Amino acid sequence: MARLLRSLIGRAGLAAAVCLLLVWSLGPVYWSFVTSITPPADLFSDPSFWPKHPTLEHYAKLFGSTSLSQGNAVQSVWPQFSAALVNSIVTAAGATVATVAAAATGAYAFVRLKFPGRDILFYLTVATLAIPAYTVMIPLYRLMIFLKLIDTYAGIILIYVSAFLPLALWLMRSVYQAMPTSLEEAAWLDGANRFYTLWFIVLPLAAPGLIASAILTFLSAWGQFMVPLVFSPTLATKPLTVLLPEFVTRNYVDYGLMNAAGVFAIVPPILIVVFLNRYLVSGLMAGATK
Amino acid sequence: MTRSTFRADEILLAAVFVVPIAAIMGGLVFYPLAATTLESFFRVDPMRPDAPFVGLANYARLMTDRGVHASWLNTFAYVALAVAMETAGGLGAALLLNRIRVGRQWLLAATVLPWCLPPVINAIVWMWIFNPSYGLLNKLLLGLGLIAENKVWFNNQATALFLVSIVHVWRMMPLTAVILLAALQSIPKDLYEAAKLDGASPLRCFRLITLPLISGGLAIALSQSTVFAFNLFDEAWILAGSSVDTRSVIIQVYLTAFQNMRFSSGMALSILAMIASLVVSLIYVMRVYRETRFD
Repeated sequence: MARLLRSLIGRAGLAAAVCLLLVWSLGPVYWSFVTSITPPADLFSDPSFWPKHPTLEHYAKLFGSTSLSQGNAVQSVWPQFSAALVNSIVTAAGATVATVAAAATGAYAFVRLKFPGRDILFYLTVATLAIPAYTVMIPLYRLMIFLKLIDTYAGIILIYVSAFLPLALWLMRSVYQAMPTSLEEAAWLDGANRFYTLWFIVLPLAAPGLIASAILTFLSAWGQFMVPLVFSPTLATKPLTVLLPEFVTRNYVDYGLMNAAGVFAIVPPILIVVFLNRYLVSGLMAGATK
Repeated sequence: MTRSTFRADEILLAAVFVVPIAAIMGGLVFYPLAATTLESFFRVDPMRPDAPFVGLANYARLMTDRGVHASWLNTFAYVALAVAMETAGGLGAALLLNRIRVGRQWLLAATVLPWCLPPVINAIVWMWIFNPSYGLLNKLLLGLGLIAENKVWFNNQATALFLVSIVHVWRMMPLTAVILLAALQSIPKDLYEAAKLDGASPLRCFRLITLPLISGGLAIALSQSTVFAFNLFDEAWILAGSSVDTRSVIIQVYLTAFQNMRFSSGMALSILAMIASLVVSLIYVMRVYRETRFD
């Protein structure tokens, strides 16, 4: 009986801990979503966990050509919002493709090919993980002005690649090291060249590692704030992360609108967590512990 | 190395693959790092024509600047608060995830989610929760009877530092949890069975088996949390802007360099911040290794 009681208490404690972890992790995200579908009047009088009068008003404000704010017609935010959304997608996707391509080929060279300076070059690249972005920011700013790459997609993507490549390279090297060479050797005996074996044999086998690197790079680029704050002064390349805080005006913050826009910015990460969490977690574990 | 160990075709292919990486890392990381280090000893100011050598004058000026002092203290507060909360919470979450059988992958997905979201959006979401008039925090605490009236949380420096840390911890705790979960899963199960046969209590098992065997993961998690807390920028910037009460060292670097255009002061401060974060995380790693070496 005492045993049963203890096991029951243990189970209850475990369930309570699970609930606590879920509320802590998902609560703020849920609250942001609820805010984004609550009418402004309710927001300032009686916001509830379960919206009584759900509305798409804040989303309409994001997409509308004109909008109302506290009874006054104000300029629509859609032109800015859509430009920033496109910028976020282009820079994050561009950085992901470039980083994964460089990591996939570079790590292959660092593992399978013999060339002078191989190890020193690899370790120098990975050591830059310890250098914070702000330490290189100021000379980088002058360099980008000199190269006329300020406020261009190419400039932003290049900076992202230099920042996120070391981790991806580290990850891909551990993937190739764990892969047996026998398959490649068999293909060479059949007369296949290195490009053929890399493309048709090695890369398909390395797919989980490639996906993990792509996810880590995409999430880092998508959430980046300080780099575009300095290098993306106008809407030519300004991403959502820099635009959204600008919605905060000095005397009035439209929290409904901010949360609606925020929900857009968190949709891609949520999709990744829901559908690709296995790769994400394995990438995080490998990146942090190997 | 002798020439015969290399083959021409391999070197050619390696060059195609590796030269772009070397160019990007050299041009966009190593050159700027060298420039930052070197120019922190010069007076570099876009508003003034020449850039004379000034020795340690930039560093000396940082020692007497009130804003810099405040930012160091704030950053140390962030590091202490964030590392303590992330380690305690992350260890708890990892132990829980390690015990759960049913639906573990879904709980893991929920746990990891905050880490995946853009830090700026996190800060905006929490800013709304902390809102003095309509925020959820005031509403909950009023409902529980813990406070008598709505509080303006950011009017008090200690509270402001704590709340900025909470937002940072919310984002970074998943990383600690995942690292510790990986460490926990590498512990052989039969160790616990043997200890159980010897009549060891769960607490004793934790202290004598779990803790020593995850010390490597713990060291990595600790140094990661430290470095990220040292680099705290987004959360404090969104929640309180350039406020002296909450500005971190990195915010101070940004203000000095890109708002006041004092490039060389900003570079000197960024070098100090980098060294400080590396030294502190190195101390953790060495202490954890030393304390657990004989177990």
